[in-house]
Amino acid sequence: MSVDIYWRIGTHGDQPSLRRRVASRGEWAPVVPGSLAPGVRDGRQDGYSYVEHMGDVARASESAGFVGGLLPSFPNTDDPWATAATLARETSTYRFMIAFQPGFLHPVQAARMTASLQRATGGRAVFNIISGGGGPDQLWWGDKVDHDDRYARTSEFLDVLKGVWRGVPYSFDGRFYRVEGARLPEPLARQPFPEIYFSGSSPAAIAAAGRHADYYLSWLEPFHALTAKFDQVRAHSERTPKFAVRVEVLARPTEEEAWAEIARGWDNIDPTVLRGATGDSIGWQRSQSFVRGPVNGYRDLEVTPNVWGGFHLLRGGPAFGLVGSYEQVAERLDELIGLGVNAFILAGVPHLEEAYRVGEEVLPLLGSLVKGHAR
Amino acid sequence: MAEFHITLPTRGDRHRGDWHPDSHRPFHASVTDPRATGSFDHLAQVGRAAELAAFTGAVAPFDPEGEESLVVAAALLRQTRWLRLRAEFHPGIATPVYAAKISASLQRFSGDRLDWGLAVDLDPAVARAQGDFHEGADRYARAAEFLTVAKGVWREPGYTYRGRFYEVLAGGFDAPLAGRDFPRVHLSGTSPAALELSALHGDVHVFERGDDLEAGIAALPGLAYAIRLPVLAREDDEEAWADAARLGGFTGLVGSYEQVAEEIRAYAGRGVTIFQLDASPYIEETYRLGEHLLPLLAKEGAHVR
Repeated sequence: MSVDIYWRIGTHGDQPSLRRRVASRGEWAPVVPGSLAPGVRDGRQDGYSYVEHMGDVARASESAGFVGGLLPSFPNTDDPWATAATLARETSTYRFMIAFQPGFLHPVQAARMTASLQRATGGRAVFNIISGGGGPDQLWWGDKVDHDDRYARTSEFLDVLKGVWRGVPYSFDGRFYRVEGARLPEPLARQPFPEIYFSGSSPAAIAAAGRHADYYLSWLEPFHALTAKFDQVRAHSERTPKFAVRVEVLARPTEEEAWAEIARGWDNIDPTVLRGATGDSIGWQRSQSFVRGPVNGYRDLEVTPNVWGGFHLLRGGPAFGLVGSYEQVAERLDELIGLGVNAFILAGVPHLEEAYRVGEEVLPLLGSLVKGHAR
Repeated sequence: MAEFHITLPTRGDRHRGDWHPDSHRPFHASVTDPRATGSFDHLAQVGRAAELAAFTGAVAPFDPEGEESLVVAAALLRQTRWLRLRAEFHPGIATPVYAAKISASLQRFSGDRLDWGLAVDLDPAVARAQGDFHEGADRYARAAEFLTVAKGVWREPGYTYRGRFYEVLAGGFDAPLAGRDFPRVHLSGTSPAALELSALHGDVHVFERGDDLEAGIAALPGLAYAIRLPVLAREDDEEAWADAARLGGFTGLVGSYEQVAEEIRAYAGRGVTIFQLDASPYIEETYRLGEHLLPLLAKEGAHVR
C-alpha cells in the first residue's frame, strides 16, 4: 500500500518565512506594503481575495506530488467547505481534506454537501473530523456539547451520515440526532464516501476513532510517544485504522542551513509568545509534556534527532516538526512509515514555496533511504 | 430597477446532467464518443449562460432530491464574474454561526455576490427527513433566531446570545471575515407567521403566481418584492402555445416576447422588482430570454445594459 502525502493549505494567511511572525500573505494581519493577495489595490477592493493564494498553494501541491491538502478550520480562518467548493474545478487530482467539527452541520446536510462536492470534484473530498478542540471556542461556534460528549456525538453524526448515503430511506433516533426517512437522491448516493481522518488524543477520541476512522491522525510527537499512541488505538479499536501524522517540515540542502533558519526565527521571538497558548485539547497538553529541562536555546527543544518542538513559537499551529537536511527529513519520515504510518499531512512555511521544495527535494528520497524498507 | 434571475436545474434538465437514465444516449459503435463531462459541467454552463445573457443572478433551490445548494453556489460563484448566486436552504442544516461562517468566506471569494433564501415552510415529511422535527410556529421562531444569530456574529465582535434554540458566547467574526455584506435574505410565504418573519429579517420577499401580492406587499413595507415565473416565450404567441401544448402541463407565462414582457411590466407596476424566471431547456432558454425578452424590459432592467 502506498503512502498518501498531503500538504496543508493555510486558511489563515501565511508568513513569507519562519524568521518573523509577520503574516503578510492575505489580509489576516494588517495589510502593509509588501502584503500579497490582500484583496485591495490602491486602496480599493480589486476583485481578488485570499482564495487566489490558496488556489496557488493547491496547484503547487498538485504539481509537486502531493495527493491533496488539509484545509484547517478555526474561528478566524476561511471556511474549508467554501474553499474546497470554490477551488474544486481549478484543480484536477488535488484532494480537499476538509477539517470540521460535527457540531457545525446537521449530518443530513453534511452528507448532501459532501456528495455534491464529490460530484463537483470527481470524488476528491476527504474528511478531517475534529471532535475535541478549544474550550471557550466551542461557544464561539455556538456548540454547547462538552468534550467527552462530543465524541459520542461524532459517532452518531457519522452513523447518520453513512445511513443516508445508502440512498434508501433511513431512520435514526439517538441522543443527538433524529431523522425519519432520510436519504440522498441516487446521483448523490452513488458518489464515493469520503475517507475519514480522525483526530483526538483523549480516550473518548480513541474509542470513537476505532469505530469510524479510516486514518487515525496525530500531530507529530517524539516517535516513542507516537508509537505508544498507535498501540493504544490498536488496543481500543474493534477495527484498527491506518495512521496518519501531521508533520511540520523545515528541510534544507544541509542540516546547518536548516538550523540556521530556525536560529534566525528564534532570535526574533517576542518574549510574550513564550508564555504559550492554552486549550482544553489533550493534544496540546501532551505536546507540552515532552520538553524536559530548561530551555536556554532552540536546540533544547530538539527532543530526539531532527524532532523539534518549537514551531508554535515561530508560527501559529502545532509545536513539533522535523528540522534537518533533505536526507535527514526523508529518513525520519521513512522511519515513521516503518512504525506504521500510512499517510502524512506535511506543512512548511511559506506553504507555496515549501510545497515545491519538499515535493522536489524530499519526496523523491522517500522509501529509498531506510534499509529493508520495501519499495 | 428590476433584476432578472434564473432558477438552476439542480436535478438535471430533462436528459442533461447525469440525473436521468437516458442521459448520454449511446452513440453507434462506429461513432467516436468523446463525452466525459462531469456532473457539475452542465450547471456551470447554465450559470455562465445566465451571466452572458445579462441576468442578475441565479438561484440554487433547496431541493432534497437535488444538488446541495451551498456547494452549487460556491462552485458557480467561482465560474462567473458578476452573477449573484442565491443559495436556498432551511435553518436546520447548520448552526447559524456555521452558516454565516461559510457565507463569509464565499462573500470574500466572490466580491459579495452570495444571497440566502430560507425555506421555512417545509412539508413535514421532508423536514423530518432532514432531521428537523420542529413544527408549526416553532419553525418560524427558530428561523428568526437563526437569522438573529447569523447576523449577530456577522456584525458584532464579541457577540453573545442565549435563546430558545441557539447559544453563542463571545462569538462574532474578526477582521478580515467581518465587514462583508451579509447575504441578502430572501423569504417567502403568505401566512401571518411567514410575513412576520419577513418583516423582521427579510430583504426580499419572494411571491409565487397566485399569491395575494397586494396584501403581502402592504404587510412588508420597505422590502424588495420578487416573483417566481415559469415562462415560455416565443416570437409569436401561436408558436409559444404550440410549444406549450407539446410540453404538456406547462403552467406559467406563455406568449410572444412582447406579451410576456407586458405581463412582467404589469408585475413591475404592482411593485415587483425581482423576477425569477424558469425556462427549460435552461441553456437555450436563458440565451433566448437574454436576446429577446430582456431587451424589451430595458427600462426595468436598465442596470443590466
